[in-house]
Amino acid sequence: MDFSTLSINQLRQGLLDKKFTAVEIVNFFLDKIKRIDPQIKAFITITDEIALNKAKLLDEKISKGELIGKLAGSIMAVKDIFLTKDIETTASSQVLKGYIPKYSSTVYQKLIDQDAIIIGKTNTDPFAFGGSTENSGYFTTKNPWDQTRIPGGSSGGSAAAQTAGLCTFALGTDTGGSIRLPASLCGVSGLKPTYGLNSRYGITAMASSFDCPGVFANSAEDLAILTKITAGRDSHDATSINQTIPDYSKLLENTTISGLKIGLPKEYFTDDIDPEVKNSVLTAAKEFEKRGAKLIEISLPSTNLGIAVYYVLVPSEISANMARYDGIRFGQSDISSPDIISYYMKTRGKFMEAEIKRRIMIGTYALSSGYYDAYYTKAAKVRTLIKKEFTDVLSQVDVILAPVSSTTAWKIGEKANDPLKMYLVDAYTVCINVAGVPSVAIPCGFDSKNLPIGFQLIGNFFEESKILSIAHQFQKITNHHLQKPKL
Amino acid sequence: MSSPKISMSDLEHIAKLARIELTETEKTIFLPQLESVIQYFDVLNKINTDNIEPTFRVNDQSNIFHQDEIKESISVTDALSGAGRTKDNYFVVTATIKK
Repeated sequence: MDFSTLSINQLRQGLLDKKFTAVEIVNFFLDKIKRIDPQIKAFITITDEIALNKAKLLDEKISKGELIGKLAGSIMAVKDIFLTKDIETTASSQVLKGYIPKYSSTVYQKLIDQDAIIIGKTNTDPFAFGGSTENSGYFTTKNPWDQTRIPGGSSGGSAAAQTAGLCTFALGTDTGGSIRLPASLCGVSGLKPTYGLNSRYGITAMASSFDCPGVFANSAEDLAILTKITAGRDSHDATSINQTIPDYSKLLENTTISGLKIGLPKEYFTDDIDPEVKNSVLTAAKEFEKRGAKLIEISLPSTNLGIAVYYVLVPSEISANMARYDGIRFGQSDISSPDIISYYMKTRGKFMEAEIKRRIMIGTYALSSGYYDAYYTKAAKVRTLIKKEFTDVLSQVDVILAPVSSTTAWKIGEKANDPLKMYLVDAYTVCINVAGVPSVAIPCGFDSKNLPIGFQLIGNFFEESKILSIAHQFQKITNHHLQKPKL
Repeated sequence: MSSPKISMSDLEHIAKLARIELTETEKTIFLPQLESVIQYFDVLNKINTDNIEPTFRVNDQSNIFHQDEIKESISVTDALSGAGRTKDNYFVVTATIKK
């Protein structure tokens, strides 16, 4: 049986009906990883022993008739910036090589509390700094649809594992597009929730006012189940929201497509976009129109400022967060220096990958005396304008529909030596993070090279139930999300 | 203001502030890269932001308080388990004061 095509509920029900065991599920995924991952390189660490032990315990629970969690039978791949107690967490950086955390991130803990089984930790750009996994301190993950191409990033390992069928669902984070971009380039579903919906506790910090943990899955239906579990107030993260979390699964049918006002932002459909991507996304929009939705051209005039705002504010927050890294309590260090300042400089100089250094330095520059107002404060003011554009538009339309990326997956190495070129790949994703609103990315077809194309549905603050419902209804009438690469 | 050109000494100053030792090769690579990114920020200067308040966080929460309760935490052994150098339940740090 191919367990990678089963949904979360099908896996759980199959266990309860004794159609298969958790050990069989784990063995299936471990065999598949063993066969496929040496080419794809989605995983940094494979937690085979832990997975098998957890599966045995779960099978015992079932045989004794004990209650099982909502994710029993589901196999989880975890981006390596989530702290996982007693499992090496490298953040895909040499800085944290060998680091075994003694506590777990909240989101991961909530998922294993529901009996999800971790199968491994996935590759990312180091500390999630990047859009292709090429910045990883270990290796580049290959796009399973074409192994000469990048999977997108930073959560590229998770997206690649998802599309290659190496897990039931995967964890990622989206600070500027790091879930939606790889979801789109790998042809899977991914949710960037509203800022604050999921706790950031226990995840290596990138930019604290932007970071959004979230999930990849085979469908919006599975995203809904997972988000109900991960969301909510966490006393360890003061920015996590304190409100009742709706049962997203029960609300999947609640949005009526007929009469739905869908905004198409003209700034996301310019000539800068690959015509094949544009056509595919517009065809998806027309699927809704056929069922009675109204397509309305809207404008988000500050879209072209998103990258500049993002790459001032995010590196500024990175420089503040990464300033705390000293290699004393954990991680790698160079103790050859006799004095503390050169100890810091050598430790950070020796182990941080180039992209970490670049971002810390951009942030240090933007926050330095004399430049602070010109860069940081200015960008924070433009952030206000971008946020207002989204909330204004979303008071006139029900949802915004837009492409995720202007192109499909590009060749490994194509943009690796030009940081600005790489930063610009996030042009259609960063504004959503600048504003803080939720967005779900789902597949909508393929280009002539058979590379996946995705689109995003953007809602107002805390409208996850609405965007997941619209995504789900699209997936009921199409089968793009069911396509898998031949491996 | 338009973005100034970054000199090699500016780059060295930034690296020092950021506590990152750079090799000569790294400096040569980073200088034009940082310059192109910082020049790209110029686009923001064309925007009128008079009377606009900056946004530092997107949700409107502020002053989140909680009771100052003593809760179970990780053990000393666990807290020290990731450290390269420890002695008598302490972290060992390179000398911070000159003899």
